Amino acid sequence: MAYVATRGGEQAIEHAERLFRSDLGTISRDRVDAVRKTMPYLVDRLMGEASLYEPDLAALALAQAGGDLYEAVLLLRAYRTTQPRIAFAQPVTQPDLFTVRRISAAFKDIPGGQILGPTLDYSHRLLQVGVLMGEDFTPEAVPPAAQPAPATQPSLIDWQKAQGIVLDHPVETVALEDIPDVTREPLLFPVPRAHKLQSLARADTGGTLALGYATMRGYGDVHPTVNELRLAEAPVRLRHPRGTIFSAGRVRVSQAEIISKSKNLELGFSATFGWNEIKVIAAATLDIASSQPNPASAATEEFILYHTEPVESSGFCIHFKLPHYVTFQSALDAYRRVKADREASASTVVEKELTSTAG
Amino acid sequence: MKLQELTRPWAAFNYGFLDESAKREIRRRILKAIAVPGYQVPYASREVPMARGWGTGGLQVSLTILKPDAVVKVIDQGTDDSVNACSIRKFFGRVGGVIETEDTQGATIIQSRHRIPEEKLRDDQVLVLQVPDPEPLRTVQSDMPVAREMHGDADYGQLWLILYEQLVKSGRIMQYTEYPSLVNGRHVISPSPIPRWDVLKLNKADHLTILSAGREKRIYAVPPHTRVEPLVFDDVPYRVEDHQDKTCYRTNVTGFFMNELPQDDGSAKFELSDSHFGVKHMRKAEGEPVAIGDTWYKNGKMNR
Amino acid sequence: MTALNLAAATQITRQPPHLMLAEPMLTMCGISKNFGGVKALSDVDATVYPGEVLGIVGESGSGKSTLLRMMNLEDTPEAGSYHLALPGRENSNLFSLDRFERRSLRAEHIGIVYQNPHLGLLMGHTSSGNVAERLLIAGKRNFAELRERARQSLDASEFPVERMDATPRELSGGMQQRVQLAKAIALEPAVLLLDEPTTGLDVSVQALVLDTLKRLQRDHAITMVLVSHDLGVIRTMADRVMVMRRGNVVEQGLADQIFQDPQHAYTQQLVHAKL
Repeated sequence: MAYVATRGGEQAIEHAERLFRSDLGTISRDRVDAVRKTMPYLVDRLMGEASLYEPDLAALALAQAGGDLYEAVLLLRAYRTTQPRIAFAQPVTQPDLFTVRRISAAFKDIPGGQILGPTLDYSHRLLQVGVLMGEDFTPEAVPPAAQPAPATQPSLIDWQKAQGIVLDHPVETVALEDIPDVTREPLLFPVPRAHKLQSLARADTGGTLALGYATMRGYGDVHPTVNELRLAEAPVRLRHPRGTIFSAGRVRVSQAEIISKSKNLELGFSATFGWNEIKVIAAATLDIASSQPNPASAATEEFILYHTEPVESSGFCIHFKLPHYVTFQSALDAYRRVKADREASASTVVEKELTSTAG
Repeated sequence: MKLQELTRPWAAFNYGFLDESAKREIRRRILKAIAVPGYQVPYASREVPMARGWGTGGLQVSLTILKPDAVVKVIDQGTDDSVNACSIRKFFGRVGGVIETEDTQGATIIQSRHRIPEEKLRDDQVLVLQVPDPEPLRTVQSDMPVAREMHGDADYGQLWLILYEQLVKSGRIMQYTEYPSLVNGRHVISPSPIPRWDVLKLNKADHLTILSAGREKRIYAVPPHTRVEPLVFDDVPYRVEDHQDKTCYRTNVTGFFMNELPQDDGSAKFELSDSHFGVKHMRKAEGEPVAIGDTWYKNGKMNR
Repeated sequence: MTALNLAAATQITRQPPHLMLAEPMLTMCGISKNFGGVKALSDVDATVYPGEVLGIVGESGSGKSTLLRMMNLEDTPEAGSYHLALPGRENSNLFSLDRFERRSLRAEHIGIVYQNPHLGLLMGHTSSGNVAERLLIAGKRNFAELRERARQSLDASEFPVERMDATPRELSGGMQQRVQLAKAIALEPAVLLLDEPTTGLDVSVQALVLDTLKRLQRDHAITMVLVSHDLGVIRTMADRVMVMRRGNVVEQGLADQIFQDPQHAYTQQLVHAKL
């Protein structure tokens, strides 16, 4: 008798993959360009979570995954693993950023001004159903300002530090190649600051929001104020082997400073690739929450950094779809034995009763 | 002269997918793990084109030790056919150009999820086990730095306590898979979710076993000829699953770990969990010249 | 005990009590410790003889708990030595032991009962398990023996053995202290340390637990160091008393003498405040 029934696993998975891909159809350059052009915030979110800045690749990942964000993150991160490291960029400070949007909730006005930039914050969230009827939704013209907003702004926190309102932490100067890199080293607790900020930069937006929300609602002792929120373009400056520092281009970044009014004025910070306000605000809040001396159990570094990891969390979640029947069989064996023991001792009790009544 | 002429031709990825710095790190971690049997060595654990939780740890180890002349066998729950095992085995072929096999005897690298094959492994073979949770102290101590200290102090009292209380509550040790075991008399490990049946195979084996958790980022190892002793009380013997009398309905082989298959009429059939072991028996019964290796278990009992 | 000589009782000179005729079980010399500028302990000496109960009394900030923690090798001083009369270790300063030796010595030879049961017990495990853990750490691997010794230890602590598998969470404060006690004596330690063992318990329960302690100590001649701010407790239990204040030992002597005839102003204050 030939060994048939359980074969065919290989074919099944190939066909399952084909079925998924055939639903999406051919992926062409045009489709990728359309994703990049029409879904910039999704592309940004993905680049942040993948910690890889390349909008074309991110748009391709989204197209290939059919919009499944966790699949797209895995695609991009797996690609990132294969890329060699050729240089380290020069550090960027706040005044270096070409800032498009910059607001502070801490003061009514700040040096450099409150620049609203592009945002839907103050809009009415009305779904434009007319589009489905054939009426295109054409955005209204933006009248140019009398004076252009300055391309760069000073850092509000510098003013606060000079005022003595906020504690100034000593800056650690480290050679660029010695900066700890969470993508090349394991995460061990307590984490160095670099690992924490990098992990938060790559964190899953939804997960970070959930935990940040819990902290904001009062699980823990953090009462956040947005000190400064920026959407900007950061110059990527590299050092040529001959010594010249040149610009290799710009990347979109978001960053948030949060001040907590709990005990002292404590500062939390987060930055990421791409424009993603929700994530950086929530992450900066978690930065403070996890730096407290006795953080709530859902706000410890370990809890936050572990559970906001998109590739690990989504992977582990779906791994439960894998067969677990050996483990299950072993557990069944244990429970069956206990049951058998109970029945055996129950029957000896009965026997004893019988013999005693008989005797 | 163009820059392109000076460099190598472009390739989508390195041999074995991982770049050389990733492989170097993993090699060093493996060596450390072998030098301190049972000690969990942290590593960066790079992303690979497979979801976390699906064997990325095992994959990274196998990719690191892969060579063009390697012969790889990949199993999941004992079978080469499972969708996950197929996917991983295909990947090895794709990025390493290696020979794929289902024959335990012929493989040089065996990557496995949750089972050790029934045929004994030799000193020229490496077993790579996929591990979901490397930390045997997890239920006793969820704080990782504290757990590391406990391992450092060989402070396993609370782990023994779990077993003690299973005996008190249920009259039996209820630990099923991931049975905590003492390696080389020093570190307690989780041997991964292999059944109790398989844990005994690790003790003083001829082969090297590397256990790797990708998501949790830990590598540990059982070098050849090393003691692996499940934690047991002297007066409560270690018990494997009750499979010594079960018979495989396909091959009529008895005395090996089985899969239970519920039937329509309410009964159950059993089949060999080590599927290729079963295939070999079937081929042999049909007259093919098949080499079935020596097994750890004989007549349903572990043979030492 | 020899009959009291009334004439001699009024004299200041004191005869050494019979317990002090043997070699000391525990000796601490010249213990000093600073916590960020505050002198927690200043050149403190302590001696405990086999089979005796040394009571250390003082208010918070006296340094008594710090001293006890050092006896449990949980903390080390800036200066000073610590000896226990253990075979093969008579001349080792226990403060110079490495981490492993310290843990192993503590596990085998020192028992401790904390005021807060959460410090001394694994609240989520069974009471018998708590006692068994001690034996497991010492390498005992026979289930039947673990069970029996846990039962015996709990029984000696006057804990109802039919509840030996209840978790401490399910027990009253007094019961929890008995489990701590059973755990502490399971390996028949050289010295038993008690840090405010009955503080926080109901008065009636306190009396019962102290009763057990006294009986246990007498029946097994256990060497004890008992720290308390409560003079009543010290008076019930101690053979000798050390009075501490702000890191210094202000007075020490036989319990009866300290209570009936305190010499130092501070001791007088304490005793009279109580009475």
